[in-house]
Amino acid sequence: MNQSVKALDDLVILDLSTSIAAAWCTRLFADFGAKVVVIEPPEGNSLRHLVSNDSEGSNLLTDHLLSNKKSLQLDIESTDGRVLFLDLIDKCDVIVESSVPSQLEKYGLGFNDLHDSFPDLVVLSVTPYGQANEYSFAPANSLAIAARSGWASINGFEEKGPLSTSSNQSAYCAGVLAYGATLAAIFSARQESGSGQYIDISEFEVMVSNFAPPALSSEYSGNITKQKSMHETNLLAGPVPVQDGHFALTLSRAHFFRDAMMVLGLEDLAENLDLHETWYRMAHKDLWMGRVQDAMSEWTREELFDELALRRVVAGPVLKMDELVENVHLQERGFWNLLRDDPLQVLRPGAPFKLSETPWVLAHKAPDIGQHNEELTHMILHSSNAIKSHDGGI
Amino acid sequence: MSGPLKGIRGIVLTQAWAGSYCTELFAMAGADIVQLEVRKRPDSWRGTYTAPMSESMNKISTARHVWNINSNFNAVNLGKRSFTLDLSRDEGVDIFKSLIKHADFVAENFSPRVMGNLGFSYEELCEIKPDIILASLSAYGHDGPWCNVPGIGGTVEPTSGMSALLGYGDGVPINSGVMYPDAVAGLYGFSGLLTALHYRNRTGKGQFVDLSMQEANLANIGEAALEYTYTKQVPNAIGNRHKIYAPHGIFPCADGVEGNKKWIAIAAENDTQWLALCEISGMSWASNSKFSNNVLRKENEDELNQEISLWTRGQDRDLLSDFLSSKGVIAAPVLNAKELLNDHVLRSRGVIVELDHPEVGKKAQIGAPFHFSQDKISVERPSPLQGEHSFEVFSELLGMDRDEYEKLVAENISGEGPPK
Repeated sequence: MNQSVKALDDLVILDLSTSIAAAWCTRLFADFGAKVVVIEPPEGNSLRHLVSNDSEGSNLLTDHLLSNKKSLQLDIESTDGRVLFLDLIDKCDVIVESSVPSQLEKYGLGFNDLHDSFPDLVVLSVTPYGQANEYSFAPANSLAIAARSGWASINGFEEKGPLSTSSNQSAYCAGVLAYGATLAAIFSARQESGSGQYIDISEFEVMVSNFAPPALSSEYSGNITKQKSMHETNLLAGPVPVQDGHFALTLSRAHFFRDAMMVLGLEDLAENLDLHETWYRMAHKDLWMGRVQDAMSEWTREELFDELALRRVVAGPVLKMDELVENVHLQERGFWNLLRDDPLQVLRPGAPFKLSETPWVLAHKAPDIGQHNEELTHMILHSSNAIKSHDGGI
Repeated sequence: MSGPLKGIRGIVLTQAWAGSYCTELFAMAGADIVQLEVRKRPDSWRGTYTAPMSESMNKISTARHVWNINSNFNAVNLGKRSFTLDLSRDEGVDIFKSLIKHADFVAENFSPRVMGNLGFSYEELCEIKPDIILASLSAYGHDGPWCNVPGIGGTVEPTSGMSALLGYGDGVPINSGVMYPDAVAGLYGFSGLLTALHYRNRTGKGQFVDLSMQEANLANIGEAALEYTYTKQVPNAIGNRHKIYAPHGIFPCADGVEGNKKWIAIAAENDTQWLALCEISGMSWASNSKFSNNVLRKENEDELNQEISLWTRGQDRDLLSDFLSSKGVIAAPVLNAKELLNDHVLRSRGVIVELDHPEVGKKAQIGAPFHFSQDKISVERPSPLQGEHSFEVFSELLGMDRDEYEKLVAENISGEGPPK
């Protein structure tokens, strides 16, 4: 595998994103080789101004989301800035933005304003609720999206109330789908009769799409898929307590059940052929569930994993972030990365998927505001006069 | 099918959720997704041939085969065509190889050793079609010490770090209500394949896409990973709260009809939103010194949440949500599955669609989560019956006539339902 071959190094993305979702989308473009130019107003991208969340005052989100990208300080709210932005568009393939609907139109930079002059241009909007609907202007975050998309209604336990998704799930899910959708639009634009187009991605709708199985289950059965009761907490709901933490064991196929029962010393259950039928097993949980959990509670996570994995039973320990950093499998897969230009030498999470010929590469930490003004002047515009590069930006 | 990926064809062996969702997104974006199903071992999301039919399905006169009416399968295979082959027979293998010649990509979500055992490793597929792309969505990827460990969403959620971040803050890790890591892997699989397709279109070179569900999900919580590596503080589940902002929670509202509990999510990420919330509530929170800035609100979050709960408890969820949103406060109703399927915005935007399934009849389903201005998305085809398109696919791509197909069925190489 040649580290220098990049899947997307023919693409230039102008990145106006100010949300996690859109910035994750463009981060993926950068990781697979596209030139991603973050257009920053004089005060810097608003992602830089989120509250710092470590004891040193660093903004981890900035570091995470702007890595691998280039920064151009350009004020598109000014007339001169917009003229220069139009010059840049001529050299780019995609504009990514995340502002409230019609914000770009205000500056004459909406898709319809640009399409005639730049027929191959793809414009992507990634917003909480999408364009032109009654939710469009409602402020939202991952909590609100988890609530409205149905996820909070099935996560957690009914005695404790609805539970959101972990972390910023709607943002990252929307970001990766937006990335794929943009590549699809580029594919279409490069067909003989193709052209550029506008893509509208809503965080809400992506999480709704992720919710399709429980939604259709409700539609088919007439029974609303709900949270489980704490009193029914068991292997089917997720990890159960073991000696040194929690452990998940799924018994979805007959041989998983048989082999797991043998490991746990529950031979009579392993030999009960009725329990080898999935539907029978689910209909008669009282025959086995309590005994299995009691038996598991005598083991450590590592013991269970080693024995069950050896027999190819679907099972897994709950791992926390410190354990994941030390996890031998992830280390051997090269998941964790260091950046050469990071003075702190902090480990960073790696590729969400691997490509055999065109690898994911994390090469640079987040740029300073306007760090690449001069480079971009030459590399993109091929004109040292087009952008006046100076300390104060453009 | 219409959409930006019209002209792309995937011959896929995807199953269950992650792989099926990945290729469903292609189908919804206009690609021709032709899905191989193996009758001896049906897709686990079709269930088993012997499972009894549910009470609700028993009432539907057209519902005849339990493996065609599983809501799980039918939720994540929209727009695809299904054909069946017995890959343990030479004739089946030969037909599959002939079909590969018509594919841009192959996708599967078996354990890593399965494709090689079938004789369809990436290298072997390249001998059939040199520019083929193969995407493999497995639990832990194709190398490393865990590569042969089987996994599904229910076990990858714990091993990716997600379960440790999901919970009420009492130290008990929780899995999502359904196997959420599958959905995340499906989204990344879709994007991984498109990255490889973009490169192939430029260079004529295919490649192998190795997606580990563990890594895709860990990447999706990359913020938490970086938080640990920066600070050495292990992040834990914090319920509905936010690390920085308060209020940030889900609060009870007035019950709905038949005593159904209703809830609302409310958050204020800045003082403007906080003050708007205070004004709407009519409560004296703004003058309470314990809540006068975000740091104090965070310090006194238990008390703050109690106060908000007391106020929301008598409120109509939907009216309150709309009003808060209109005033710039982050708010949303906690919708259940039924309410979601009736959401008029989702319906008007074509995200919820009514599809007529041959056995189940007309049902509301969740369709495409993307909108393109030129290549309009139109999800019209429900998830296929097992083997529904076998003859259509063999005829269209291989020129097979009906007699040849009937011979395959008679010999149990293709067909529908449990093999005879």
